[in-house]
Amino acid sequence: MGGAARTDDQAVLDVGRAIHAAFPSAGRRPLRALDDKAMDLASQDEELKAALFRFVDVVPACRNLDDLARHLTGFLGEVDEHPPPIAVAMRMSGTKAGRTALGAAAAAGVRHMAHRFIVGETVDDATGVMRDLWERGVATSVDLLGEATITQAEADRYARRCAEALDQLTAVYAKLPPRPQLEQDALGPLPRANLSVKVSALTPLLRPDAPELGKRDAAVRLRDLLRRAKDRGAHLHIDMESYDSIEAIADLVLELLAEPEFADGPSAGVVLQAYLRDSPALADRLVAFAGSTTRAHPLVVRLVKGAYWDHEVVEALQHGWSVPVFEVKADSDRNFEALTRRLLEARAGGTPIRPAIASHNLRSVAHAVAVTRELGLRDDDLELQVLRGLGDDLQDALAANGLRVRTYCPVGDLVAGMAYLVRRLLENTSNESFLADQASGTPIEQLLAAP
Amino acid sequence: MTASALRDLPTFRNEPVLELRRASERERLLQGLAWLDGRPPVDAATWIGDDKQSGDANVSTDPGDPERVVAHAPVATAQDVAHAVEVAEQGARAWRRVPARERAEVLVRAAAWMRERREKLAALCVRETAKPWAEADADICEAIDFLEFYARGAIALDRGHHLFQVPGERNDLRYLPRGVTGVIAPWNFPIAIPIGMTAAALATGNAVVLKPAEQAPGCGFVLVEALRAAGVPAAALNLVQGAGEAGRALVQDPRVSTIAFTGSLAVGLEIIREAGQVPEGQLHLKRTVIEMGGKNCVIVDADADLDDAVPAIVSSAFDYAGQKCSAASRVLVHEAIADALTERLAGAMEVLQVGQADTFGTEVPPVVEREAQERVARYAEQCARQGRVVATHDVPGAGWFAAPTVATELPADAPVLREEVFGPLLTVEPVRDVDDACDRVDALPVALTGGLFCRNPHTVEHVVRRSPVGNLYVNRSITGAMVGRQPFGGNRLSGTGTKAGGPDYLLHFVEPQVVTENTVRHGLVI
Repeated sequence: MGGAARTDDQAVLDVGRAIHAAFPSAGRRPLRALDDKAMDLASQDEELKAALFRFVDVVPACRNLDDLARHLTGFLGEVDEHPPPIAVAMRMSGTKAGRTALGAAAAAGVRHMAHRFIVGETVDDATGVMRDLWERGVATSVDLLGEATITQAEADRYARRCAEALDQLTAVYAKLPPRPQLEQDALGPLPRANLSVKVSALTPLLRPDAPELGKRDAAVRLRDLLRRAKDRGAHLHIDMESYDSIEAIADLVLELLAEPEFADGPSAGVVLQAYLRDSPALADRLVAFAGSTTRAHPLVVRLVKGAYWDHEVVEALQHGWSVPVFEVKADSDRNFEALTRRLLEARAGGTPIRPAIASHNLRSVAHAVAVTRELGLRDDDLELQVLRGLGDDLQDALAANGLRVRTYCPVGDLVAGMAYLVRRLLENTSNESFLADQASGTPIEQLLAAP
Repeated sequence: MTASALRDLPTFRNEPVLELRRASERERLLQGLAWLDGRPPVDAATWIGDDKQSGDANVSTDPGDPERVVAHAPVATAQDVAHAVEVAEQGARAWRRVPARERAEVLVRAAAWMRERREKLAALCVRETAKPWAEADADICEAIDFLEFYARGAIALDRGHHLFQVPGERNDLRYLPRGVTGVIAPWNFPIAIPIGMTAAALATGNAVVLKPAEQAPGCGFVLVEALRAAGVPAAALNLVQGAGEAGRALVQDPRVSTIAFTGSLAVGLEIIREAGQVPEGQLHLKRTVIEMGGKNCVIVDADADLDDAVPAIVSSAFDYAGQKCSAASRVLVHEAIADALTERLAGAMEVLQVGQADTFGTEVPPVVEREAQERVARYAEQCARQGRVVATHDVPGAGWFAAPTVATELPADAPVLREEVFGPLLTVEPVRDVDDACDRVDALPVALTGGLFCRNPHTVEHVVRRSPVGNLYVNRSITGAMVGRQPFGGNRLSGTGTKAGGPDYLLHFVEPQVVTENTVRHGLVI
């Protein structure tokens, strides 16, 4: 993007090659390969993809296996041509016994897929995964999935779950052995327990045309969580969501973090979405905030591509508004790199800020590492983040390269996780997905080419 | 005609609502309000030809602050109405000779006039009818849409239809204006609905006598101002302010050939009866284009996603205090999820934003007048007596606020399950299955809008086939029909089946005429 200095492509290539060389081979993970096949099938056919998504979406609301099978065949009935496995399913649906068997198989399939992305139903269930990741040199940020918050009782319940999770995570991580690389950077200690929270779940009052309403209501619960995180020495990360709530969330978080009681903690972070056309302005605001406050903990800024692309485009088109996100993927990728540089330059210039680059795009990740080195920063001045289930191979490869990596781990039951799951599946089967390119054997030079 | 007038109009697209998630757009509306508040009340005169008659027999006030006068207007007498019709009759003779293309250009100019002043016009809706900002803005957009949409529609209609042709004869189907249209408008879409009916009549070459609702004379006046400023000849568009008496005089006048009405069932039925009379000397059958109320049901099947269904139901039932003919008033929910839905609905009620229309975020403003407040209270009492009130909400003391209410466990014959409340009241009934729900919908005499939350495509298709309503919405809120996208109007006793904002609406304002010419002369086709 405009004005950003270009990183030496050779440097990016070198870093990228080294990471790529550390990717586990598919043969070592037979189950994973099976999943990829299923996703591959879905991504080849738009109608089939739509049918499968609609099915996955409705699974938690189905009352029994028969109901499940009726929904499945209802969706598949709208697909013009049936690949062989689906033709079999349609034949099975003719009898009650067939539907029960089909329903059971489909439910098992969805559960299996969900487990790939959702580490457990509760934080307790997830401790094994967290411990295992820690052993392998990987930190986590836990995200509690939930139904939409439309009542105060639901907001209270979510806040309570978050508070409990902070306690549980602190207890789990207290028992783990030291991992200096995950616990310290040049600016000081990094909390082990790390929780990501959503403002839309902390209040039923987020209204696009009245940001003050939701801000006021969420502030009470968020302040409690910040106190708890401070008390436990945990990190609290506030996620960004759709464009409708961006003003309320950015204002809320920065105002709260500036309150005197939080000057000495907790460690906290926000999210910057690179697909937004006006993200550079927010980046400037975040950097200015990090530089001007006297908070003891540097502000963590997680840079992501952004997960609500379809929603933003559809909403803008339905209303006749200009689209707030980049519509061409390369523009978004270039902006991601410009923002990466913006954050790292701030860090190199002495601003107490912790850039956390969250991407599964090997080029974006290699670029971040190369810029870090080019600016004379140490590798541990940079954090890399991936999503559980989508970035597993990249996560291992980054850890093997001695880079600090944190995996975003959603926790929750299937009903609660469905919206999350559908978004992840969409991302994974998108034709423009880096993961799809990678799976299809695109040459490494092409994967690492500048956007 | 200028060259620009001959150029094709660009393809219709809906006027974008303001992006109120941006602070700058909110600020723009507040400036519109400051402008309005800094002026004296609107002089909403009766405006017949070039003659303006001001008055203050009727005063519109802010429903949120009944002390604040928004507009003052006269109340037209039967003689005033007769005079307006007489002027309109002359106006119709000239206006029908203006080419369709030029009439369309006038409407498009009126749209531009409104677009330039949209924040001021929205502010007037906020003050005069207590429409919250987002809905007031949407009202102006819909008004602009009607002007643009019917302008294009009238040009297309003017081209006529292709007919079967054989050698030696030429067959043409064309559409002629009907004459004087009487437009009787409601207050709840105080600019969009009157301008929609008026624009349809004008676009097709008719003259209009418009009587806006007595609750919204100011809005009625400015929309006439918009059309006159854009070039509608004075005699072709006449405004009479008033109430029931003026409306009745307009309907009964033998020189009026078309009556376009949106409003209550009782008045609609009276208009249809009156319009059926053919007094001595009347040379036509009156045509009525009528949109009346509903008792709109939302069916929620067991597989519905309550994360989506609950907010959509709440907004369909309570936005603008339920004062939309499309608003949801009954929820028919599968018994398997009835308790979960009711609990979440009650929780969502607690966080409803009840307040003044000029406050961003307000969902439930005051209702339009004291009578409406009393009516809603009566039905709410009935609910408490005959069933169980699940949730209600405190309301401010000043202003005509009606407490939003959700009730359940009502007997099947409870009047509140059949009669239109036109206020913030929603009932919930558990049903065995969607067929049970469809039976209940089918038993209603009205059939305007309906909703369905369901994720099984077979069930969706089944409900669509069984549904009598004019507008059925699947997995979304049931209000907010957009011109060109959701042509709007009800069936059964909800209306004459006409679809405002649809491709065939203009046909109700014209007379078809077929001209067949023999082109054979001396055995030769010439």
